[in-house]
Amino acid sequence: MKLNRRNFFKLAGVAGAGALATGAKTAEAWESKAPKDPFGCLVDLSRCVGCRKCEQGCNEVNKLLPPERPFVDMLLLNEKRRPDANSYTVVNRYFTGKSDEQDHLLPTYVKIQCMHCQDPACVSACLVGALTKKESGAVHYDVSKCIGCRYCMVACPFEIPAYEYFDPLTPRVRKCTFCFERIEKEGGVPACAAICPVEAITFGKRSSLLDQARTRMKKDPARYIDHIYGEHEVGGTSWLYLSDVEFNKVDFQDLPSEPIPKLPETIQHSLFSYLWSPIALFGVLSVVMANAKSKKNKEDES
Amino acid sequence: MIRLLNRQGVSVFAVVSAMLFCCNSTQASSTSEWTAPDQEAAKEFAALPVELIVNIKDESPYERSLRLLDQGLSIKDMPSHYFLLDSPIIKKQEDRYGPVRFMHAKHARLVRDCAVCHHYRPEDPAVKEINRCSACHQDAFDPRVVDRTGLKAAYHLQCMECHREMAKGPLSCTGCHDKKIPDHVKLIKLVDKPEPSQVTEECLRCHENQGRDMLKTAHWLWRGPSTHTVGRSKEIEIGKGTIAFNNY
Ligand code: SF4
Ligand code: SF4
Ligand code: SF4
Repeated sequence: MKLNRRNFFKLAGVAGAGALATGAKTAEAWESKAPKDPFGCLVDLSRCVGCRKCEQGCNEVNKLLPPERPFVDMLLLNEKRRPDANSYTVVNRYFTGKSDEQDHLLPTYVKIQCMHCQDPACVSACLVGALTKKESGAVHYDVSKCIGCRYCMVACPFEIPAYEYFDPLTPRVRKCTFCFERIEKEGGVPACAAICPVEAITFGKRSSLLDQARTRMKKDPARYIDHIYGEHEVGGTSWLYLSDVEFNKVDFQDLPSEPIPKLPETIQHSLFSYLWSPIALFGVLSVVMANAKSKKNKEDES
Repeated sequence: MIRLLNRQGVSVFAVVSAMLFCCNSTQASSTSEWTAPDQEAAKEFAALPVELIVNIKDESPYERSLRLLDQGLSIKDMPSHYFLLDSPIIKKQEDRYGPVRFMHAKHARLVRDCAVCHHYRPEDPAVKEINRCSACHQDAFDPRVVDRTGLKAAYHLQCMECHREMAKGPLSCTGCHDKKIPDHVKLIKLVDKPEPSQVTEECLRCHENQGRDMLKTAHWLWRGPSTHTVGRSKEIEIGKGTIAFNNY
């Protein structure tokens, strides 16, 4: 197994949980803290034309650094990109075999950003409450509370939060803000949804978006596959996707419908309700590291 | 970047800007006097406020086409040949491109069926059969009409999908829109009394690729026989590409 930072944390988490499961008191019943009527966005992949205007709008509104290559540079679509510390959203292009009448392959474009989960794993992983789920639906990051542990990055099932590794003094975790300042104002719309030329991003109440998605599927059943991504995934997300191609062909993962915090919140509570737990954690970590190291050495030898 | 292009490259922009300057000034004097005779009327029409039609009649495109036929409505009844798609509804949210000059008559003659674009009618029988796009499509995400796209998306979806299906008509932004060139006075950062080379450097700060392209053009190389001028070609031996005196 390749042991990168990410895997390492995951391993450590699992090992820690295992070690503590026996010692912990019976955990309190888990309760969803999801807002009742949050906003959301419905991204319709069959509409997106891959113009990258959403990236541009997002960059401007969030006052991010100017990009290395201009937003009109479509050659960037040749690579698969991930959101990073300077881009909260990116558009990727896929060729899934879909074609038009003349047998030209048709691209599918996928905009990715934070999904603003209803019960976010990042929020429950954060030790100091720097991440919170707001009533509006936005998962909000408060830099003044953040201690830079980056547990959120490990916890997020969509691998969204990015870190300003380049900044040695005041690094921040960076991710889509759902333009919370805009949407919490009357009539406010996220910058990406406002700029999109084809309304591939529909903004509204999550409940209404689910209805709209079903209406679109019913009106044009041949156009869409029968799945609203985010309706149930990880307990539901504020951002939802409709697609004309199978989701796993465009790098969406199959995720359980259980909210992820349902597991780790119990783990953490038990972890930190015991004084000795940090020591135990470090013990476990060192064992895991040693194991991994010797395993790697063996692999190298063979 | 500057290192890449070396000193030669830096002077490129002086030439380009000089050329652009000449072109602009001649163009301005020759084109500014002429505007389409119907342009003012089109502008006014585009700016007219329209009341939103909330309820529409639920019918299939086929039913609608047939009904139009029954009523004897066809492209002959077209009230206007030309529209300027310049609605204040769109500009409220974003205003990055110039308005589209839409050749209504030309499109109608190609499609021959009004119902292709005018795909629904109002539910209220008292309202006229065919209405302008902005009568139904206005602000995006309007809670009164949740399943309907806003005007900007309605245009783009309708135009682009049809252009793609018919393999005819533009698909890129600037195929239909003028680009709105940002006010460069605000963008340019120069010291007082800059050196010519500093000016070029500042241009290259954003227009790096254009600088590189320029290095490969005849405007820069400035040598060899001139092309496409049979009988009038000149061999250029002296110039930017050989001996130069204003290379900055
Ligand atoms: S997608 Fe990741 S970062 Fe965004 S709310 Fe969900 S867990 Fe948190
Ligand atoms: S919601 Fe705002 S922050 Fe998030 S991707 Fe869109 S523009 Fe960027
Ligand atoms: S702005 Fe809209 S159409 Fe363009 S890439 Fe983004 S989501 Fe797709």
